[in-house]
Amino acid sequence: MRKLLVVTAREYLERVRTRWFIVATVFGPIIFGLLLFVPPWIAARSQASANLARIVILDATGTDLGKRIAAELNGGIAGDTSRTDVRAVVPARLAEAESLATRQTVARETRGYLVLDSNTIAGRSARYAGSNATSGADMNEIRRVVRDEVVAMRLEQAGLDAFQSAALASMRLSLDAERITDRGRGASAKLSIFFAFGVAMLLYVSILMYGQAVLRGVIEEKQTRVAEVVVASVSPVKLLGGKVLGVGAVGLTQLVIWIGVGLTLMKMRAQVLGHFGIESTPVFLPGISPGAAVLLILFFMLGYTFYAALFAMVGATVTNDQDAQQAQVPVVMLLVVSAFALAPVLAAPESKLAYIMGWLPFSSPIIMPLRMSVVTLEPFDIAASIIILVVSCYVAVVLAARVYRTGLLMYGKRPALREVVRWMRRAG
Amino acid sequence: MPDPAVEIRDVVKRYDGHTAVRGLSLTVPRGAVYGILGPNGAGKTTTIRMVLDVIAPDEGSINVLGVPNTTRGAIDRVGYLPEERGLYRRMQVRRVLRFLAELKGVGRHEADRRIDRWLDRLGLRTADRDWGDAKVDDLSRGMQQKVQFIGALLHDPDMLILDEPFSGLDPINAQMLQDIVMELRRNGKTILFCTHMMDSAERLCDSVCIIARGAKLVDGPIARVREEHGGRRVTLELTDGTANGVAAVLADRTLVHRVNDANRIFDIELAPDADPQRLLRRLVDAGASIARFELAQASLHRIFVERVGALDTSTEANDHA
Repeated sequence: MRKLLVVTAREYLERVRTRWFIVATVFGPIIFGLLLFVPPWIAARSQASANLARIVILDATGTDLGKRIAAELNGGIAGDTSRTDVRAVVPARLAEAESLATRQTVARETRGYLVLDSNTIAGRSARYAGSNATSGADMNEIRRVVRDEVVAMRLEQAGLDAFQSAALASMRLSLDAERITDRGRGASAKLSIFFAFGVAMLLYVSILMYGQAVLRGVIEEKQTRVAEVVVASVSPVKLLGGKVLGVGAVGLTQLVIWIGVGLTLMKMRAQVLGHFGIESTPVFLPGISPGAAVLLILFFMLGYTFYAALFAMVGATVTNDQDAQQAQVPVVMLLVVSAFALAPVLAAPESKLAYIMGWLPFSSPIIMPLRMSVVTLEPFDIAASIIILVVSCYVAVVLAARVYRTGLLMYGKRPALREVVRWMRRAG
Repeated sequence: MPDPAVEIRDVVKRYDGHTAVRGLSLTVPRGAVYGILGPNGAGKTTTIRMVLDVIAPDEGSINVLGVPNTTRGAIDRVGYLPEERGLYRRMQVRRVLRFLAELKGVGRHEADRRIDRWLDRLGLRTADRDWGDAKVDDLSRGMQQKVQFIGALLHDPDMLILDEPFSGLDPINAQMLQDIVMELRRNGKTILFCTHMMDSAERLCDSVCIIARGAKLVDGPIARVREEHGGRRVTLELTDGTANGVAAVLADRTLVHRVNDANRIFDIELAPDADPQRLLRRLVDAGASIARFELAQASLHRIFVERVGALDTSTEANDHA
């Protein structure tokens, strides 16, 4: 027991001390912070410009469409339309009017000009040229106004009165979605999905990262022949156990730091954004009950243990990094397949695929937390998944220990799969 | 008489397709320097790994310091220096050593004290440079070997197992290591070491065991081994050419078993039961002008080459497998 602790402590301390760990631990929250702060900032930047209306409208339609658009651009009937210069043009002189407006735009007397003609009345097209033509938000706003006014005008022509036309033309439907969980109304559905996906990806990345750290550790000990010295003091099984525990503790430390910093950043989000003069909707975290949090950590630990055992097994059968790259492919593929299943499971968290992937030990540590975050699962479903995973962990660790014990002092050629299976069968 | 330091009885170790150790028995007395000698692939490393309980023998038993080596804590009284350096390359020297000591049950503070003492002793900590703070990777091969050696000694073991300890060391460092080995022996420690370098074995060992292809050929105290297995030899040097009478004496099969003629120097292997004094008298009588007549014991090297060479070494198996 004491020796196991010595090995675990070495693994933990040596890894936490590395520059890599410090960088990754700091980098995680930075990326998280960017996710929290950059989208509102970009959104603030991409709102339509306030002086959208400072343009020239070349109206070749022979109607009052130009004037109506100008009014709408300036905030409706009550708006001040003096900033918008509406010029009625006959179609034959349109080219001439356009070149004048172009010159004015170049001279910065106006931001651009909007051309309305028979195509616009027909509902097909309008043209805009100006210094802000690349701004998606500005163009969307102009298109909306033109479209609304054309529709309104045509509805009027069809016999509706102006008030009815306007109401119909500008009808807009917005959908605010909100998720309802066991604990009542919670966060928005979008955020909940984002969160669930985030948790699953975090688990995927951590399990892959730390599983491979175990693999590299095993290979390092073989390559540097440290294993020779160490197994003369401690049994291979304890050495493996200490390695898996130590590396796992590093992973847990990093997750705790990430989650802690993440939660703090979320709390401070409105404050920080407000500081930059950006208004933000408060973020409601999807409700995580303490029970769910325990389950999340349990799934991480079990998933990590399962994969760490598989990676250790791979490490014990190879001598160099090139061989390891090849030999670890099957294990990595298991994880990647699970990650690919995330999107379909998210789309249908109660489908047959979701059930199966939630029970298979290689995918359950990633899939179950995802399902748990988006729908409320039957306790039986969760229990079955965990029991299967625990049993699989036990089998994987026992087999890994057997392979590790035999493979640790083997160098040179990679053993054939049949031989590795023989090592697994050799008990005690 | 205390229990022997190591007692190996009828040990067999088979690998797929070959037998690495076949029916090996040997006894290492306490307080001795004991050499296991053998060509590459003889089964030395396999034997040592079995003694250290890293691998289990298929048959036979091994006792270490009076108890079966599988007894809990038995191996903690043993220090081990492997043939190839085995240190975490990116770790600081002091931390590696502390780790190795803690694995053997030495407390942290005691370990640090001993580490400093050994670093000083082996010249790894001087007024202007403390290599204990460096990373293992920054050390030369020789220095790493010294660090590894310290790692084997930190828990003050009763027995030290050294696998090819002098390979890769320059003569000065090799001498430093030898001095320490001798000092440990004076303090009553047992030293078991493996080598195929006969001259260092000859200088250091009290007893030896020569193994080849997994089986023991010869063992015992070094003087007895020489006597029993080396044959008795005489080196004869003449001041001038060979007189006819001398050739006749050397051809006498009751006196001389074999003779190796190198111009004026003869390497003579005496016939069984032949008296070297009688040979000397006969040579003088025959009119030989003798510059040197020396009774020589066979070197370990010679015994080794003769004994091992007698086996077909072409089917050497790799004992690292």
